[in-house]
Amino acid sequence: MMFQMTGNRFVFPAALLAAVLLSASGSASAQSDLPTFKADVLPILAENCLMCHGQEPRQGGLDLQSAAALLKGGESGPAIVAGSPDRSLIMEKLVSGQMPPGEARLSPEAIDRIRRWIERGAPRETGLAADGEGASHSGLPAVTEKDVLPIFQVRCVACHGKRRQEAGLDLRTRASRLKGGRSGPAVVPGNPDRSPIIRKIESGAMPPVEMQLANSVRPPTAVELQLLRRWIAAGAPPDPPVAAANASNGGPAVTEEDRRFWSFRPPVRPPVPEVRASRLVRTPVDAFLLARLEAKGLSFSPPASRLQLLRRAYLDLVGMPPSAAEVNAYLQDERSDAYERMIERLLSSSHYGERWGRYWLDLAGYSDSEGFGAHDRFRPYAWRYRDYVIRSFNRDKPYSQFLMEQIAGDELADYRKENVTPELVDRLAATGFLRTTPDPTDAPERGFIAERMNIIADEIEVLTSAVMGLTVKCARCHDHKYDPISQRDYYRLSAILQTSYDPYEWLPPTKRRIPLGLEQEKAEVAAHNRPLKDEIRSLEKGLLQEAAPFVDTLLEERLADLPEALRRELRALAHTPQDYEDGELSRKFLVARELDQDESSEVRRYLAGKFKKTLQIGLADLNRRFPGFGPKTESLRKQLDEVKGKLRQEPYVRALMDTGGRPSTTFLLKRGNHLSPGDAVTPGVPAVLTNGVIPYRVDPLKHGQDSSGRRLALARWLTQPGHPLTSRVLVNQVWLRHFGRGLVPSPSNFGRSGEPPTHPRLLDWLATEFVSGGWSIKALHRIMMTSTAYRQTSRIGPEALKLDPENVLLSRMRRGRMDAEALYDSILKATGRLDPTPFGPADPLETRPNKEVVAKGSRVGFRRSIYTQQRRYDPVSLLEAYDMPRMTPNCVERKNSTVATQVLHMMNGTTVWEHSRYMAGRIIDRVGYDPKRQIDQAYLQALSREPTEWELERSRSALEEFADHWTSRLRHDRDPTPVHWAAQWRALSSLCHTLLNSAEFSFVD
Amino acid sequence: MRRQSPRKPEPRANAASLAGSPRLSRRELFARSGSLLYGTALASILSRELFPTDPLLASGGESYDLRPRTPHFDPKAKAVIHLFMNGGPSQVDLFDPKPLLQKYAGTVPNRDLTSDITSPTQSGGLLPSPYSFSRHGQSGMELSELLPHLATHVDDVALIRSMYGAHFNHEPAIFFMQTGRTVATRPSVGAWVAYGLGTENQNLPAYVVLDDPKGLPVNGIANWQSAWLPPVFQGTRFRAEGPPVLNLDPRPEWPGSLVKAQRSLLQDLDRAHRRERPHEPYLEGRIASYELAARMQLEASDALDLSRETEQTREMYGLNREETASYGRRCLMARRLVERGVRFVQLYIESQIWDAHSDLDKMLRYSCAKTDLPVAGLLTDLKQRGLLDSTLVVWGGEFGRLPLSQTQASGIAGRDHGPSGFSVWMAGGGIKGGTTYGATDEFGHKAVEDRVSVHDFHATILHQLGMNFRDLAYERHGLHERLTDQFPARVVSEILA
Repeated sequence: MMFQMTGNRFVFPAALLAAVLLSASGSASAQSDLPTFKADVLPILAENCLMCHGQEPRQGGLDLQSAAALLKGGESGPAIVAGSPDRSLIMEKLVSGQMPPGEARLSPEAIDRIRRWIERGAPRETGLAADGEGASHSGLPAVTEKDVLPIFQVRCVACHGKRRQEAGLDLRTRASRLKGGRSGPAVVPGNPDRSPIIRKIESGAMPPVEMQLANSVRPPTAVELQLLRRWIAAGAPPDPPVAAANASNGGPAVTEEDRRFWSFRPPVRPPVPEVRASRLVRTPVDAFLLARLEAKGLSFSPPASRLQLLRRAYLDLVGMPPSAAEVNAYLQDERSDAYERMIERLLSSSHYGERWGRYWLDLAGYSDSEGFGAHDRFRPYAWRYRDYVIRSFNRDKPYSQFLMEQIAGDELADYRKENVTPELVDRLAATGFLRTTPDPTDAPERGFIAERMNIIADEIEVLTSAVMGLTVKCARCHDHKYDPISQRDYYRLSAILQTSYDPYEWLPPTKRRIPLGLEQEKAEVAAHNRPLKDEIRSLEKGLLQEAAPFVDTLLEERLADLPEALRRELRALAHTPQDYEDGELSRKFLVARELDQDESSEVRRYLAGKFKKTLQIGLADLNRRFPGFGPKTESLRKQLDEVKGKLRQEPYVRALMDTGGRPSTTFLLKRGNHLSPGDAVTPGVPAVLTNGVIPYRVDPLKHGQDSSGRRLALARWLTQPGHPLTSRVLVNQVWLRHFGRGLVPSPSNFGRSGEPPTHPRLLDWLATEFVSGGWSIKALHRIMMTSTAYRQTSRIGPEALKLDPENVLLSRMRRGRMDAEALYDSILKATGRLDPTPFGPADPLETRPNKEVVAKGSRVGFRRSIYTQQRRYDPVSLLEAYDMPRMTPNCVERKNSTVATQVLHMMNGTTVWEHSRYMAGRIIDRVGYDPKRQIDQAYLQALSREPTEWELERSRSALEEFADHWTSRLRHDRDPTPVHWAAQWRALSSLCHTLLNSAEFSFVD
Repeated sequence: MRRQSPRKPEPRANAASLAGSPRLSRRELFARSGSLLYGTALASILSRELFPTDPLLASGGESYDLRPRTPHFDPKAKAVIHLFMNGGPSQVDLFDPKPLLQKYAGTVPNRDLTSDITSPTQSGGLLPSPYSFSRHGQSGMELSELLPHLATHVDDVALIRSMYGAHFNHEPAIFFMQTGRTVATRPSVGAWVAYGLGTENQNLPAYVVLDDPKGLPVNGIANWQSAWLPPVFQGTRFRAEGPPVLNLDPRPEWPGSLVKAQRSLLQDLDRAHRRERPHEPYLEGRIASYELAARMQLEASDALDLSRETEQTREMYGLNREETASYGRRCLMARRLVERGVRFVQLYIESQIWDAHSDLDKMLRYSCAKTDLPVAGLLTDLKQRGLLDSTLVVWGGEFGRLPLSQTQASGIAGRDHGPSGFSVWMAGGGIKGGTTYGATDEFGHKAVEDRVSVHDFHATILHQLGMNFRDLAYERHGLHERLTDQFPARVVSEILA
């Protein structure tokens, strides 16, 4: 062993101390045969390591003087992982010879000693047995309830908790553990060896091996087991009374300066500024904008043309251009307030909610699929939330109420005691807001706590980025680097969701739904399913008949080796007639049934259990055994699958519900790791947001529902009038959609690392106006859209190009490409293919032979994009090409790209061409074969205007040219249709197709 | 949105001067460039065409594009071919000989190993590899007899035997290899590369995926997603048969002359529209994209047209043999794409052929027979064409396999997933050939020596492309998001030339 410590004065005392301790604790150590830090490890470290990792300054910030210091580690992380030498950095360094530096090496025996110590859970000073009754005088901190509760929560409560109490045992509280289950108390205070819980864990009986995966649990680690032992040995003490009160984790205190940051202070309504060009001020918005423009020597640009404004307003509010009739009606309206009336018409259109609801669905991260696995599992009930959002926008539901319902719809009243009304369904569906993120936990191997924590983290991200304009994600592992948001704040937010997303007693997505539907809906489903179920029954009968001889053969093969008497018994059992539920043939032809007491003997029941596997013969077994079976029954099985696919499911509401009862405890998780619990935290909101607002407070629900009220408290806190973020964030979102850029250019980040508002006073004026006007979003549209600013042309003047090149000051309107949905919907409306039917289950998609994914049409046409399935994996090709976001987990601001693949969809894709043919057909129906009238009509429908003279001429010659090309093609084809007639139609189709592809069509302005 | 890095594109040489005349109209330019359709000159001209210099664009807009961008430092590799071996190839049977397994065959493993077992009921004792290993090349790298063709290239290959992952299931483990996290919500490495570097040829996507015609891999198209990076950076699937890109060709029922006439009408209408709206770069870009689409149609079809390859080349990739033809075609396509300036090409393999839970021998022989020759052919071909120096070839799966036997219903032993230690290799693009780096423990279970994390693996790929993993960042919700996230990572400099 090396001895390079000459002159190092720190080593000698440490080594001496170690030597003393070694002899002192030697006997205890030998007794328990457990290596301890002081006896076995410290001497080695003292001799080899402490010269650099002893007193300050320590290399790499690493202190190796105590077991606790090893656990804490240095700059590269913890030096040891108790119980796992392989994951311990120190072992890696020692084994590889990286440490100690230079030529020196530790002897294999020394390394082995350290390895064994880590393997045994890195006990600190003494062995466990010596720990016995008096933790305190061994120098170890006392183990109390708060230390062991996380272990029970992580390892046990899935089966012994609130929802399930296997063997009558509940391990959630100290009292319930002492009380125990059917086989007596789980814990014998003072005696770990006699405590059933320790015995069961140590023998490997608990958690049962075969149940671990199904319940997504893992057995306790060696360290955890030791903690449990120590806790029991100490008499299973409860929390010391001070610990509960002292739940602070010492996160950085929020300073007054932090609270003074602009977005953390409540908005104060500023006076509307005076401007020189007061004639340009239509709404206060104009005054705020002009004040800044005038300071730069600029003003608004001239107004856009009436037609341009009309199209702009339509695309903004309903996401589709005006029809030819709507254009004409508007042009003929000569009243002075024709524009304002048009805005009102659009705001009361049912299409408004489909447009603005879509924006909200972006924020919520809405998707009709789970986003995992080969099939991207479909969410059959998500659409109720989508409908709720659309209806809410159409009714101009106050934003405060809208938030309240989405965050805590299940806690507003006791839904279990209410009659089922459309309002109730809506209020519960509203909670779909926090049910949007990808969730793989239906599969048990993807349902472990780490994954559940990811889901909770995603929901927190949706909530904070969409509603609060804050990024808190980083505080999951450490205090926020820029904003005064501590890790404790993060877990306080997390605790608000804990009573509905309990990571320890988890509900997979398919269990998070309420069987609830209107009577009429239920009747419809039953009526729809009745004939299908009959059909399924008869198909299954057919299948059973086909299978019968194969089943018999296989059964005989399986029974061949058994004694005859037993065979007879089993044969009889196997052929006991089965009662199948309607359409529920489980693909097991033979099943050992659960036999009732009264209908069979004990022997038969025993045999049924014992030979269950032998008696189970399913399709898979037959396929494996008889190569001919699969092909023979293929068509029957296909038919069966097809019919089953047509079945409609019973109505459910996909919702977020508080699970009631006593909530589990939320811990701050060090470095975000659920196996490193820190202090317990109570539900709460970021401490910095307490300026001038009522603090977050959970009250018991008045109506007595068994629900924690935590989310309701959050909703109340968020929607109080003076909340610094809620109104500003929403106003900014609306502004962003109208003007192409937020007043705060980083809409999901109002924090210190975000971008400050370009017009802070305007933002605050709008925010206060919004709240005092009853949180009406439609009122915001009016204020913004009737302004002079909104009515400007988008054309850039030379002054503006020089002084306001990026249009920060809004010296003109922004020109932009339509987003994916506006483009898709506009094509439908312009071509006459729009089926305006609202609401209901999402329209399925289909993949064309060329692999293009399109929506399946209805009888009338195609519904708007919002009603098609919003899948994460294989979305509608056209929408995907135009940057429809993949929800990961949500989208606060969309990005636009300009790439050639978009063109390929527009030019060569099935969708646009098919719609163009339809459009041309309807134009011919309407105006006949006169080219001028055809062109006029095509322009009106596609571009909401008549063609210019030049365009008319150019289009006319193009039509002729197209017709010639089509004529020669069609002659060549020897098609029976009259060539002239068909060529005219196709030529017009090509013209319509060109207009839909024009830059003007896909751009606003 | 601020783009963190790499730097903004340098102003490139004026498009017109590249074409040799100071004052060419766009139309003339296109007419002329038609003759040098596949030249790099055209590529850069087109990129200028699509994104003209404009005061507005220069001021930094919110549009993202695929223009080539200058990396942080001089890159060793310009392109990556990622041969993703989804399913989990078995390291102890292919790359990592463990003679001790023979000695302890059938014995019950130690405690560390059992902690990795997910199906305890199927798990048996230590299972020695049925294959013999021998040394190859000047470096003497040891490889299994199942990889005779790769064996001829070992002096170009750096083998990492000490990779370790984080999850024992395919879905999360594949996400981990693609995105650095086990969740479905982050951009894949190819998307990061496209975001960081753009691409050399604007007529082709920056990030091309060649998935197996027999079916999508686990996680489907989410494997090449851009997540919250702008969608323009996500992988584009090129199909190995038929038109490579969705809707690439005009509809067959349209007369060819009609397509031309329609394009001409569209051009006229758009020009008139644009005349009324000066200084609108996105409008310009959008109009130019229509012209580009027509060129992409030619170039993408050409890139995948293997009929232009010589018989000798086809032989090299195994195109004439049934077992190698499918993978060989895609390896050859990968070369043609990289040759044309595509930045990142990723190949997937048919459904889980490496996932040998049972019948180890049969499955491994099948997988190796399918891939070994084509992969070797790709290396040979790249080298012959002088492309290997600038192309980083990466081979590996999402995890390895346990050195234990696993017995399922079939009764013939295989191996279960082993995320704690596995092998990958890299070649070309500045990699030090003949290197064997890192080691697993004596049974080939866990990486113990010179461990390489998935983040190290990603950092190394970025580094070879001239990017620092700490600086390639995207600002999102106020966070500087990176491929390696906040995880510790390092470039595995020991395998670099």
